[in-house]
Amino acid sequence: MDALLLRSLQGYVRDTFGPPVWQAVCRRSGLTIETFEPMLRYAPGLADRVAQGVAEVLGRPVEAVWEDMGTHLVTNPRHQGVRRLLRFGGIGFTDFLQSLEELPGRTRLALADIDLPDLSLKELAPDRFEIRCQSRVKGLVRVLVGILTAMADDYGTLSVIETDDICGDRIVVRVLDRFHNAARRFDLAVPDA
Amino acid sequence: MTAKNAPTDLVVDAGTLARFMPMHLLLDAEGRILGLGPTLQRILGDRNAIGTRFEDWFEVRSPGGGTTMTDVLDRSAHRFRLALRNRGRVGLRGVGQRLPKGGQILINLSFGIDLIAAVGEFGLTDADFAATDLAMELLFMAEANASVTRELRGLNLRLEGARVAAEEEALTDPLTGLRNRRAVDLWLERLLATGTAFGLLNLDLDYFKQVNDSFGHPAGDHVLATVGQLLRDQSRAEDCAARIGGDEFVVILPDRTDPEVLSNVAARIIARLSEPIPFEGQVCRISASVGIVRSVDFPNEGAAEMLAAADRALYAAKHAGRGQARLIGSAVA
Repeated sequence: MDALLLRSLQGYVRDTFGPPVWQAVCRRSGLTIETFEPMLRYAPGLADRVAQGVAEVLGRPVEAVWEDMGTHLVTNPRHQGVRRLLRFGGIGFTDFLQSLEELPGRTRLALADIDLPDLSLKELAPDRFEIRCQSRVKGLVRVLVGILTAMADDYGTLSVIETDDICGDRIVVRVLDRFHNAARRFDLAVPDA
Repeated sequence: MTAKNAPTDLVVDAGTLARFMPMHLLLDAEGRILGLGPTLQRILGDRNAIGTRFEDWFEVRSPGGGTTMTDVLDRSAHRFRLALRNRGRVGLRGVGQRLPKGGQILINLSFGIDLIAAVGEFGLTDADFAATDLAMELLFMAEANASVTRELRGLNLRLEGARVAAEEEALTDPLTGLRNRRAVDLWLERLLATGTAFGLLNLDLDYFKQVNDSFGHPAGDHVLATVGQLLRDQSRAEDCAARIGGDEFVVILPDRTDPEVLSNVAARIIARLSEPIPFEGQVCRISASVGIVRSVDFPNEGAAEMLAAADRALYAAKHAGRGQARLIGSAVA
């Protein structure tokens, strides 16, 4: 999990702000490397430390960095993989939300030893959902907020996605308009490269 | 299999059937299509299938010998496989049953493992599958697996690149960019093991100590780097030019054993090395002595013996006066 987050941070910062900014982050975080491999393992806590480095270099709160990275994961046009995998979750945004609990299980089918956080969903009302996300990585809840925001957009749904700043592991989603925009096209078949 | 308390007169309307089994097919007793699920209709195309015959659309792949649905049901109690006549690539599997009244036949079809091809071929969406169908899970897994495999392949390539670079570094002399002593040992070992004939030049710089003493070590390093560049320029891609000591170099030339050719190479190197080398307003002057040996003269000897002989040849060259090359064979040794 840490490796995936570190690789995603690297991709987000390099794509959005350019390689020199990423190099500055690596120096500031005291790293001896500049490239993270998503399939390797890194020390626990390193992802939060590097995200803090990004926050300091960019002069933004670390929560905003994690959120933007989550959005970037879904919206980056050059890597459609995450968006596509998430879209398999459902026909509409609420359908997708209801599939979130199955996501760790689905992902384990492909990567048996991935330690995705446990996600639990509670339907407070037909248009109100509470998601709890428990993870060692502090920023993960914020990454999820960024992902959910981007996915709501992808499905053309207008929604408000908020975190509970006290507990930090709770996200509340309010769906305001399911048909606010047309959903982005999604073909089940992999598009030709 | 029928449960004991199951109602025998269950009536299911077409809409429910379509929702639960979007790829069902209902035939009359003669095999004409009475109704079909929306996904199946989509696959069959624009032509209305109602009233046409089962075998107009489907080819029976198994059980063997069957053409009509009656054949299929007579031969296979469990599962059968079909192919679409209009789309040869996509196979279907199904189960069928005669209904109690009127001899109608109900069939349910699915793509099985051809699902991935089918979603591409027919542009299917999540809504085309029954809500309980594992199609989405299968597609998710196929894509997730493909990403993981792609990442692993990328990782392998990057690790291989790093390994090659590390190996290169371990065999390279950083100051001159030439190979090092370890590389020479590996080269000789490989050439001797494969029985490849080669010539070997053992080269020692003349007057190098004077350069160091007169102009300092930076000048000495500059001279060594210049020699490195020169030896790289003078050797072919298949040669190995190495620095094996302070001012001592080796060039291994596979498939070059003609004494005249080797002497010419040595002479050319000596001539080039004897040209003045400018450094920070000064001019450094060196030359070189070269000992030459050929693998063909040492048919039963190992790398250490050949290097020792090359060393003796170099010594002989030094004795003959600086800027000379000497070749020795085993007889001289």
